[in-house]
Amino acid sequence: MQESIIDINAICHTFSDGYIGIKNISVSISKGEFIILAGKNGSGKTTLLRHLNGLLLPDSGIIFVNGQDVSKHLIQTRKTVGMVFQDADTQIVGDTVFDEVAFGLENLKVKRAKINEKVTLILENLNLLHLKDRSPSTLSGGEKRKLAIAGILVMDPEVIMFDEPFSNLDYPGTLQVLSTIIKLNRSGHTIIIATHDVETIICEATRIIIMEKGLIKEDGEPDRIVKYLESYGVKEPCSSKFGLGLQPWLT
Amino acid sequence: MNSSKQLRMTVYTSLFVAFIAIGAFIAIPVGPVPIVLQNMFVLLAAIILGPVWGLSCVAIYLLIGLAGLPVFAGGTSGIGKLFGPTGGYLLGYLPAVFVTAGISKGLGKKMSSDVIAMLIGSLIIYAAGVPWLKVVTSMTYEKALAVGMYPFLIGDALKIIAAAFIAKTLRPVIKL
Amino acid sequence: MAHVTPFTYRQGQSLLHLLDVRCKFFIICIVSMSLLSAHLPACFFYFLMLLFFFKKSGLNIFATLNSIKYFILLLFFVFIARALTVKGDIIFSFYGISITGQGLNEGFLVAFKFFLVMLTGLLFSTTTQPSSVKSAVQWFLKPIPFVPEKRVAVMISLSLSFMPVILKQAKEISDAQKARCADLQKNPVKKIIRLVLPLLKKTFLSADSLVLAMESRCYSDDRTDPEFLPSGKEIPFLIGSFIISLSLVWL
Repeated sequence: MQESIIDINAICHTFSDGYIGIKNISVSISKGEFIILAGKNGSGKTTLLRHLNGLLLPDSGIIFVNGQDVSKHLIQTRKTVGMVFQDADTQIVGDTVFDEVAFGLENLKVKRAKINEKVTLILENLNLLHLKDRSPSTLSGGEKRKLAIAGILVMDPEVIMFDEPFSNLDYPGTLQVLSTIIKLNRSGHTIIIATHDVETIICEATRIIIMEKGLIKEDGEPDRIVKYLESYGVKEPCSSKFGLGLQPWLT
Repeated sequence: MNSSKQLRMTVYTSLFVAFIAIGAFIAIPVGPVPIVLQNMFVLLAAIILGPVWGLSCVAIYLLIGLAGLPVFAGGTSGIGKLFGPTGGYLLGYLPAVFVTAGISKGLGKKMSSDVIAMLIGSLIIYAAGVPWLKVVTSMTYEKALAVGMYPFLIGDALKIIAAAFIAKTLRPVIKL
Repeated sequence: MAHVTPFTYRQGQSLLHLLDVRCKFFIICIVSMSLLSAHLPACFFYFLMLLFFFKKSGLNIFATLNSIKYFILLLFFVFIARALTVKGDIIFSFYGISITGQGLNEGFLVAFKFFLVMLTGLLFSTTTQPSSVKSAVQWFLKPIPFVPEKRVAVMISLSLSFMPVILKQAKEISDAQKARCADLQKNPVKKIIRLVLPLLKKTFLSADSLVLAMESRCYSDDRTDPEFLPSGKEIPFLIGSFIISLSLVWL
């Protein structure tokens, strides 16, 4: 077993309007894992993700990231655990691609020269450098999603969480984002993806966690979990249905 | 005010800056004079954001227009527009948003008080815009009123009624 | 908002494009001020110079004029109003309406000055990137007490990135309603509410997720300052604009 990076101990969260978000969840996540957090809409996936970088704090229980209590080390946690939101349009702050990526570093008051160097490097790695002076609103769906990833990546996170990374993307866009995520995992990042559509990524995952009504119902390797998916309202991949096992979506 | 609430107000205020800017482009076709929604967004910013954030909202809008970003009517910007014939209306937004927000807040954010607040706000905009128009074009007051105010009054009344409804539905949604 | 604002920033590498934005700001201010007290010959001289710079920056003057046609119409109206109301030697009289020589002169001068200030502003906004405008605003606000200039700069960025999103959504909402025959609705108040209410609701919800995205990227008011890249030609340009301003006033 590898060293764990996130430890969740019996956390509960109830929203101010009385809606129960998550109930008594305990999970440990190791470095380098590729986790799919599956479940229907409203099953508590997003609520759980938001706890992992301190956007929501648990009513009871405690979360450790790299051994530190999240509620006491918010900035450190948010640097370690990056989050890419569902709608790329609404998380864009900057008015050029370059400024958008630099935003996080500017918040941390990094020196300008260092910012320029890092942003250029990240944009180059993600193949976005030629767009650096464009307005983000003029990018394609896949490029926007990659830009959102770049904005997180520039802060050197160890864990990157994605909330429905493939929603509203066309086929080329999905391919771009998928290969970017796979590359990130291979370079050592821990990946957590919350989705109700596992088909595109199940083959890359090392672990699937299924949630329902704020509880963790299943947790294990994709080969074993895949047959239970549909009983929790998540579509089983076609290849598995036809008895072909899990086939990579990216060929 | 804690930092999270402050960040939320910052984002909401920027959102209204954007609405005021594009309000100049959104027109609803009614009769011969289409209703342009810009001043309605100014009044809405006032009753939803309150005096301080409302004022900073309009100030930032004018600032970016003055600084040369094309946010004034017709995609224009700059000193030429702000101090041009119709500049008085733009500058009038500043006192209008503050007074409207103050009245709406003072009277307790009810629909009736919103309507009164917005009526006074609209009058302030004209009180700044019409004399300005008169001075720049050296028209008589009757003429300045005839071109710079009377044709828009019906549209303004409609906008105020609509804005009061909108504010009533919006307030619970955005939980300020 | 490329399709609504015909003359936003155009990319380029001309002298004016590369000039430090703060220097451009300063020049615009002094030149516009001195234009107000300028006489007709000086205005013509300045007009020719503007044409030269338009040409040098690779901009099409006719397309530019077309984009401000309503403003020109307004100026024409100002000209007429002046010509009719200023007292002086009557050169033309018709049913009690009289046009005077002084009126024509003065009207033309006023309209022409506004036109020149407008063109100067246009030259600035077509050659200056919005994000550097934002940086310059921040720089100029810095000495003013009680103004949180860094937050103002972030708000400018945010509102610039909201504008295209709102316009796109407005288009979608109105199309969706047209598809359901909303054109038949004659009540203008209802028309306004049906367009604006969903628009505001939708954008405020996305603003909420933007707040989360900003928090998760460690937003803080205490941020890295913007950088300015002077082209080295600022001093000659400043001296030049002083000379122009002085000659505008004295000629």
